[in-house]
Amino acid sequence: MEEEDQQKLTDLVKELILRLLSCKSPNSASQSPSSPHFQASLRYAVRILSSRLAPSVAPDAAAVAESIKRHLAIHGKSSQALTFADLYSKFDSKTGPGSINNKWAVLYLLKIISEDRSLAGNDPNYPSLLPNIECFEAESGDKSRVSREREGGRVGWDKGVLLVSKDPENLRQLAFKEYADLVKEENEVSEELLVRDVLYACQGIDGKYVKYGSIVDGYILSDLVKVPRATRTMVRKLCELGWLFRKVKGYISDSMDRFPGEDVGTVGQAFCAALQDELSEYYKLLAVLESQSMNPIPLVSESASSGNYLTLRRLSVWLAEPLVKMRLMAVLVDKCRVLRGGAMAGAIHLQAQHGDLLVSEFMKRLLTRVCSPLFEMVRSWVLEGELEDIFSEFFIVGQQVKAESLWREGYRLHSGMLPAFISNSLAQRILRTGKSINFLRVCCDDRGWAESAMEAASAAGTTTRRGSLGYGETGALESLINEAAKRIDRHLLDVMYNRYKFKEHCLAIKRYLLLGQGDFVQYLMDIIWPELSEPANTISSFKLAGLLESAIRSSNAQYDDPEILDRLRVKMMPHSAGDRGWDVFSLEYDPRVPLDTIFTESVMVKYLRIFNFLWKLRRVEHALIGAWKAMKPNSITSQAFLKLQRAAKMPLLLTLRKCQVLWNEMNHFLTNLQDYIMFEVLEVSWLNFSHEMEVAKDLDDLLMAHEKYLNSILEKSLLGERSRALHKSLFILFDLILRFRSHADRLYEGINELQTRSGKSSLASRDNKKSGQQRNEGPSKTSSWASDGRKALTQRAGEFLRNMQNDLDSLAKEYTTLLEGFLSQLPVQQHVDLKFLMFRLDFTEFYSRLGVNKC
Amino acid sequence: MDPEAARTARESLDLAFQMSIILDTGLDRHTLSVLIALCDLGLNPEALAAVVKELRTEPSSSPPVLPPPSSFP
Repeated sequence: MEEEDQQKLTDLVKELILRLLSCKSPNSASQSPSSPHFQASLRYAVRILSSRLAPSVAPDAAAVAESIKRHLAIHGKSSQALTFADLYSKFDSKTGPGSINNKWAVLYLLKIISEDRSLAGNDPNYPSLLPNIECFEAESGDKSRVSREREGGRVGWDKGVLLVSKDPENLRQLAFKEYADLVKEENEVSEELLVRDVLYACQGIDGKYVKYGSIVDGYILSDLVKVPRATRTMVRKLCELGWLFRKVKGYISDSMDRFPGEDVGTVGQAFCAALQDELSEYYKLLAVLESQSMNPIPLVSESASSGNYLTLRRLSVWLAEPLVKMRLMAVLVDKCRVLRGGAMAGAIHLQAQHGDLLVSEFMKRLLTRVCSPLFEMVRSWVLEGELEDIFSEFFIVGQQVKAESLWREGYRLHSGMLPAFISNSLAQRILRTGKSINFLRVCCDDRGWAESAMEAASAAGTTTRRGSLGYGETGALESLINEAAKRIDRHLLDVMYNRYKFKEHCLAIKRYLLLGQGDFVQYLMDIIWPELSEPANTISSFKLAGLLESAIRSSNAQYDDPEILDRLRVKMMPHSAGDRGWDVFSLEYDPRVPLDTIFTESVMVKYLRIFNFLWKLRRVEHALIGAWKAMKPNSITSQAFLKLQRAAKMPLLLTLRKCQVLWNEMNHFLTNLQDYIMFEVLEVSWLNFSHEMEVAKDLDDLLMAHEKYLNSILEKSLLGERSRALHKSLFILFDLILRFRSHADRLYEGINELQTRSGKSSLASRDNKKSGQQRNEGPSKTSSWASDGRKALTQRAGEFLRNMQNDLDSLAKEYTTLLEGFLSQLPVQQHVDLKFLMFRLDFTEFYSRLGVNKC
Repeated sequence: MDPEAARTARESLDLAFQMSIILDTGLDRHTLSVLIALCDLGLNPEALAAVVKELRTEPSSSPPVLPPPSSFP
């Protein structure tokens, strides 16, 4: 079979050549198959046939037909294109025996032959830059033959001489030729090379023609390279991308360098990582573009050479989106160059408030990564109280302090590092939660908060694992923090109240330091009175401690919790010469960790002040009561009264009366003051404080409530800043009262003495009295001294009484003035409760009327 | 060849000839039939076209000295 085929093949080839040769030169004599020309041609043909065995185009008949049609249509032969289409469809439909099997080959053959013919008919000197113009032909086949003959008519293109001929086709071709020359001249560098250079520039590498000029700070085409202006501008525009890329890359490598020096924080690192991810996307795009810039477009029609796929214009279209992204990154890099930590996150967040979807998506991606270390820190702080912040980027800073100031000063907010998407109140809550956990762990030795933390996390829907929160989930963050805060606060307060019995201790302080436990105070006062009258340096605190103990034991205080009684102690303040025990004595209560967070040093000092004041008040009251004990009508006085002579009676009466009146006044004042302090100040404040303790939600609330309580006490009991003058006058009054007490004591001692002295003589006279009549005069036999004594006694009594009277007068006067002064100052006070004091003291308006009268 | 096949062949040739006229290949009917037969036998159409081109445009001067023909495919 093959032999046959071979023979057929040879025959056919011979036939073909014959026909071709005869067709070409119909009049030629070399027609016989044995002519040397024929043989030569045969050999040549065989050579050609054997050299190209496989076609270079895929055998697709339809594609070839299409391209032929297109070809025809382009060249204005649309009617023929239609006809051809018609023919082809008929041709294609012919199947079965007798039809052509290799239709594609036939079509392709026809195509190539026709192209060859048309190619041969045209001027071969046309440059390749104008592919469309190459195939320009006349409208019909006749004209093409004409053009072929015209070939000979064209003169000297290369010599630059243009022949203006009458053919319109010629003119057009001339114009194209001129343009092609111009383009060639201007373009020293082909577009392909420029595109490649631009691609290099976009990665920050200097290309052959496009280099980085540091003066201009950009990638520019060197001026020596001759390219048309349009191209130059376009290259410049595209190289902006390169400049931005350089900036971003510079920042990343900078940060990487600084990292070992621990200058770049975790947030900065996350930022660099995110940027690098974006850049790797960018690299991918550039790689694709580069590969495309090498390959031409695969077109079906071979003869049309398309140039390279990637022109500068196409490049600019492709690079438009990366340009936007790179610009964003460069802006961010600029903003964040000097920032770190939370501040950086805040700055990026501000940039992310953008309406454009592309920008906001991009920013969101970036921010998710940048904020993840921050959120991690928040999570670990809120759920575990751990502050893992090596680079100090977190907005909570901690410092090493003693246990008692852990709550107040251990941690605070650093607003510089607070990013904008976390509000201030949220930050406060975060701070408080973490602080509570630390407080519980350090001061209260409590482990129960871990369960609370887990509960909180599960309630909020996240877990206690790492990385469960992200940017953009501020809602989730808030809910987590709220849950955690709620639980931890409750737990903390529970611990405070139950384990450390905060309420009980507060109450104890009130009872002992603020002298609420009346019987205890009374007893203490009684036994400690003589001790404290000694000068300060002779008093031993041990003795006082012993006295305190006995006081506790003999009052209701003994039934109190021993833990509380443990903490009650005597304190001797530093004394100077001339101080009495009264000035240095005080009680103190020892709050231990963790209660000393609430009862800090300064708080205890305040308590001390109040104690001192109250103690002094008590002392004065005690003194006055002591005076009353001496002053109550008793037999001694009445007897003395009876015994004394008339001369001394009146003064005695007067003195006694004066004493009584003064005592009454003082007592009135003191009682009212005492009542006021006890009820309106202490009790009311305590009530308010208890209410607030009930509703307190966390330790901060508790601290504030306690402070308010103390401050109100201070203010109302005239210990505050504004009542200094009043306070002074009050103390002067107290001193006066004490002086009065000593005077009264002296008075009554004197009367007693007189009484005892005259008692001896009165005994004698009583005997005489038994006889009936009391005789003042007449010395009795028994004691001439006595009668002598009586006169002397009377004299002395008179003197004494006169002195006393004067003293008392002066005292009274002083007292009245002072009291007036005090009372006049009262209404001026701001605090509304002091008006109540005024009301109490002056409810009969006795003093104000006095004042009015005086004026 | 049965008449059916013959008819088909004739019609196909007609169509091909008309297409070649449209495309202005300058081939006459007979040459075209030879070429079609050669294509059907499996020769590379590019090669055939090259042969056509060469032998057509080659002026009547002495053909180039050729090496002895290599074997047919």
